Amino acid sequence: MADEKLIVEISCFEVWKHVSDYVDADVDPDLRERLELHFGRCKDCKAILDGTRNVVSLIGDEQAFEIPAGVSQRITTALERRIAEDR
Amino acid sequence: MTGVQEIPPLPEPRTQNVFAGEVNARAKSVAAELALIERIRAGEKDLFTELVRPYQKMIYTVALSMVKNDCEAEDVSQEALFKAFKNLGQFRGECRFSTWIVQIAVNESRRRLRRKQKVTEESIDSGPENEEGDYVPIDLADWREIPSEALQRKELREALHRAISNLKPIYRDVLVLRDVQQFSVAETSEALKIGVPLVKTRLLRARLQVRDALAPGIDGSWNAGNLPYKRVRPF
Repeated sequence: MADEKLIVEISCFEVWKHVSDYVDADVDPDLRERLELHFGRCKDCKAILDGTRNVVSLIGDEQAFEIPAGVSQRITTALERRIAEDR
Repeated sequence: MTGVQEIPPLPEPRTQNVFAGEVNARAKSVAAELALIERIRAGEKDLFTELVRPYQKMIYTVALSMVKNDCEAEDVSQEALFKAFKNLGQFRGECRFSTWIVQIAVNESRRRLRRKQKVTEESIDSGPENEEGDYVPIDLADWREIPSEALQRKELREALHRAISNLKPIYRDVLVLRDVQQFSVAETSEALKIGVPLVKTRLLRARLQVRDALAPGIDGSWNAGNLPYKRVRPF
């Protein structure tokens, strides 16, 4: 069949090597297809994919890391003082 | 120059996943930033605090992740920002200002750590662990969607901080720049002076290790929906 395409399966170990790049959409189309085929069939690797996505999402959330109250002002004040003294 | 000019708006340093509609705005923000840098170089030194204000949180978070101490992170931030001020003339615009200033924060943090002799050779660059080796996830917990609201829960934030803090420095530095600060892989590579493939390898390990560290909380305590924790270990 002319429009049928053979997608070569890959192992779970191979999938884990690429899961981070896949989350970043940094895999070539051929590998992406193979990974997606695998994720569709392997609940364990799908769990790893979902977990990795959640980690990236949680870590990137602005609420995850907040500068303590007062620190920003102290840094600014100290910087202004040192710049003034530097003249 | 007559009178005090308006300070142009500065960009937020989070620039990953730039959508088409944001490209022009980003270009304008970068141009405004470069214009501000030129004014500071021309003598308006007071504007420096405005230039770096959007990056304070970024600098502090990078410093904190490396020195692991609030007071020291504050000191490192102050020192890094002052060094950036003193060396602003060396900024050539070949990379983004955020990348440049984070390099200074990373270097200052490492300098502190070396001074305290807390950094061993392995933690700076290449550890005894074979980075080319496969990382096998410890826990294959089946994560459901974790809502952003879950981060309002102190225990999840603390678990996240602890997980990142427990990473080896070589992994933690990459994760903090790439996923906390939203640097691109190329920018992370540039800021840490390591190659792109190494950034990717370390990022993979860092993400999987953080995932493993948080996995035990997937028994429902991270999830508002109290979904059942499903542990699957096929091996």
